Amino acid sequence: MSLLLVWLAEVVVFALVAAGILAERPAALAATGATIVLAGALVRFLAPLRMGLAAGFARHHAAALAGGATLALVLPLTLRASPYWTFVATLALLYVTIGQGLNLQIGTAGVINLAGAAFAGLGGYSVGLLTVTAGWPAWLAVLVAPWIAVTVGAVLFVPILKTRGHYLALVTIAFGFIFNILMNNLEFTGGPQGLKNIPTLRLFGWAFTSKPALAGLELPAHANFYYAALLVAGITTWALRRLHDSWLGLALNTLRDDEIAARCCGVSLTRGKLVAFSIGNFFIGLGGALYAVMVGFVSPPDFDFGYSLVMLSVVIIGGVDSIPGVVLGACLLVPLPERFRFLHEFRLLLYGVAIVVMLLYRPRGLWPAAVRRYR
Amino acid sequence: MPPLELLLQQALNGVMLGVMYALIAVGFTLFFGVLDVIHFSHGDIFMLGAFAGLSTLLGLAAAGVRAPVAALPLAFVAAILVTGLVGVLAERVCVKPLARSSPLMTLLATLSLGLVIREAVLIFYPRGADPKPFPQLLPQGGFEVAGVSVRYENLVILGIGVGAMLLVDLIINRTKMGAAIRAVAQDPEAAQMMGVNLDRTVDATFFLGSGLAAVGGILSGLYYSEIHFIMGITGGVIGFSSAAIGGLGNVYGAILGGLLFGVLQTTAAALIPRGSEFRDVVAFAVVMLFLIVRPRGILGEKSVERV
Amino acid sequence: MTAPILEARGLTVRFGGLVALDGVDVAVGPGETLGVIGPNGSGKTTFFNALTGLYTPAAGEIVFGGRRVTGLEAHAIARLGIARTFQASRLCLALSVFDNILIGMHARRTTGLADSVVRRSRFRREMGAALARAAHLLALFNGELPGRGFEPVGQLPQIDRRRVEICRALAAGPTLLLLDEPSAGMSPEETAELMRDLQIVRAEMPGLSVIIIEHDMFVIEGVSGRVVAFNYGRKIAEGSFAAVAAHDDVRQAYLGTERARA
Repeated sequence: MSLLLVWLAEVVVFALVAAGILAERPAALAATGATIVLAGALVRFLAPLRMGLAAGFARHHAAALAGGATLALVLPLTLRASPYWTFVATLALLYVTIGQGLNLQIGTAGVINLAGAAFAGLGGYSVGLLTVTAGWPAWLAVLVAPWIAVTVGAVLFVPILKTRGHYLALVTIAFGFIFNILMNNLEFTGGPQGLKNIPTLRLFGWAFTSKPALAGLELPAHANFYYAALLVAGITTWALRRLHDSWLGLALNTLRDDEIAARCCGVSLTRGKLVAFSIGNFFIGLGGALYAVMVGFVSPPDFDFGYSLVMLSVVIIGGVDSIPGVVLGACLLVPLPERFRFLHEFRLLLYGVAIVVMLLYRPRGLWPAAVRRYR
Repeated sequence: MPPLELLLQQALNGVMLGVMYALIAVGFTLFFGVLDVIHFSHGDIFMLGAFAGLSTLLGLAAAGVRAPVAALPLAFVAAILVTGLVGVLAERVCVKPLARSSPLMTLLATLSLGLVIREAVLIFYPRGADPKPFPQLLPQGGFEVAGVSVRYENLVILGIGVGAMLLVDLIINRTKMGAAIRAVAQDPEAAQMMGVNLDRTVDATFFLGSGLAAVGGILSGLYYSEIHFIMGITGGVIGFSSAAIGGLGNVYGAILGGLLFGVLQTTAAALIPRGSEFRDVVAFAVVMLFLIVRPRGILGEKSVERV
Repeated sequence: MTAPILEARGLTVRFGGLVALDGVDVAVGPGETLGVIGPNGSGKTTFFNALTGLYTPAAGEIVFGGRRVTGLEAHAIARLGIARTFQASRLCLALSVFDNILIGMHARRTTGLADSVVRRSRFRREMGAALARAAHLLALFNGELPGRGFEPVGQLPQIDRRRVEICRALAAGPTLLLLDEPSAGMSPEETAELMRDLQIVRAEMPGLSVIIIEHDMFVIEGVSGRVVAFNYGRKIAEGSFAAVAAHDDVRQAYLGTERARA
């Protein structure tokens, strides 16, 4: 019974999201908005409903995940009339991957990386250079590019990882600038134009520019990348959840909260922060690499400081150190400014305000991290 | 090896830039000294000061007041008031409430506040995305000394900058509020027990540091003849780097760090081919190296962590 | 004394011009409880910090279990079997009680990153055993605590938090335990409970050597075999509690010199 409630809730959310995206006429929009408010109010104020849902999700954890995964697989069908929204959904999934990496650094380990966009750029530009300049196939470039981000991060930052947090923050900002200026001014990175004509992904003969079909219905070409990004985001979230709920996550949390206590328990400061920084950079670079093959070109403005701040917003607003929080953060913050175009100009301003409000009143984010149960 | 005159010229330019950087750096170091916080929106307050100054000048010009002798001081006063108040507001909203949380939170909060200030200027200032020309109010022309050309406007900028720093030095070392600031920087609890009003002292510190940044902002506008809403990001990074190089918490260190950074930038621009594009890269790279090798700074960071 | 488990010889720690520890010689035998007393600022905590690798000695050496450990990093020394508590309790208040104890077992873990992600059943087995050990340690002191194991430790009362910190130190299965003023801020009733707790520790791990810094002489007298007294960074007395308490230098350190005797 409670299982049905869980699945029903997921379908309702899915329907509301789809309606919110696709509704065009003012009447439909208003109806969707009203339904969302009503549903929210019901959950907020009807205690039995809220408790029932919470208990249901806790008990039928695996089934809820399966339900959510199914709906995620079906989403492109719902969006198939709009290649643009398929693209936005894919972008949100890339931000999930990037966000999980950044969250491991900032949220779990307290390693303040304000150059998220630069590390994503390292992934993206690596793919560009490997494919365009060196002629590698796209799939190989995507597999190798994240390691380049990891290596650069490790080499540059090992010496500084053990100093105090604000210095690292400063160094990452400086690094972000250096990366941007270098990409803009070096010959082999294409200068302000960047690198174009990055080949698309080809897996087992299937080119990602061809339109796939699901259940007999044709989907936009972007759907290929949607499913690829969904798979990557899924694996990333699964892996990082397990790392968070393990010796590593515990050690990193302790390093973050009380470095001296951690060291006296046998945790190595440099090694811990380096591991967190590197694993994080891997996933951030992977997100950037996928972006490069999806869009087909990379240029310096794609990876500037503003994007580092967007990535930061995803982590903080979603929930610091919270795996589901990052998913929520990405799925909210990426599509919303696209949907409400008039907000687009105010996007960064609103993110800034949201972060400050969040830190003051709800520092653990929209979906706070759960207690470690080591399951 | 470029000729001596060229080096001297660059050194002079470097000192000029350095003075402006120092004006930002002192703010960073004061805030760190007093509250152990890195106020990441300070760079954007520097930018805000520049825009407040510009707005005042434009407003005065429209009202018929164009003489530099009248307009400039008014612009400075207005900008200092604006940034001082915004600085205190920033501290009340983002810094004090989070004083007991982890330093990470304060860093993120002030960083985000900086974003808000920046975006607000971008959105609400007419055509905010474009660089804005800054009126040329300083005497033109100059003279030559030992093959180095010295422009009057550079002298004025240098003079105002140095004057501002002397004033701050005076305030910190010769006034009661300055003594309170120094006391709180050394030991907040002891200071409170001696009767110092912590809240008011912190407010005063933020007003002072932010006001100083406004002076730097207007000087930057006068120097470059333009201002841009993103100047706070680089300004903030350079200001923080300078303060860090000199040793966070040490006012003289911040001044020294600012001067060093300025000279470093101009020297790099002169010596490296395509230097002007890469001068920021070189400067930041040197800062990164410096922080790696000697994070405590030249004159030593004030730090207290009891085990 | 049989071969000491820990020996500090000529240990000197300097902070700039200040000499915080000056040529200190201290030895602890296996299974022994050594008390450390001295006025504030006499170098007791500095001594602990040097032993645990948080400060690097300017001179002298530290030999633990027959091994020279002077100058090793804190985490390396912890892995060799020295555990400690802190004067101002260093718990991660936002994390759960179990989390705070499990971190003590960090050095003894056998599963790695790969196991955490792909060989999860192996990892779960190890964690099950670790959680059971944490619960066992908690139950020694307070039978209610294991049930609260997944609550944030910040919600526990002060005395239980002290116990969690001790459990964290014990969880590593150390050979030497350093306790830094465990009774600080406690009422007489709580101090009595603390004494009982220390006896429980003794009973649970009979071979464990303990060094305990304390200001409460009642506690020192009750738990220590031998006592050393510090003043101005130097060891000024050593022996049984009675002998040290009666020592002239120790009295002078605590009470000051009598004004000119007539």
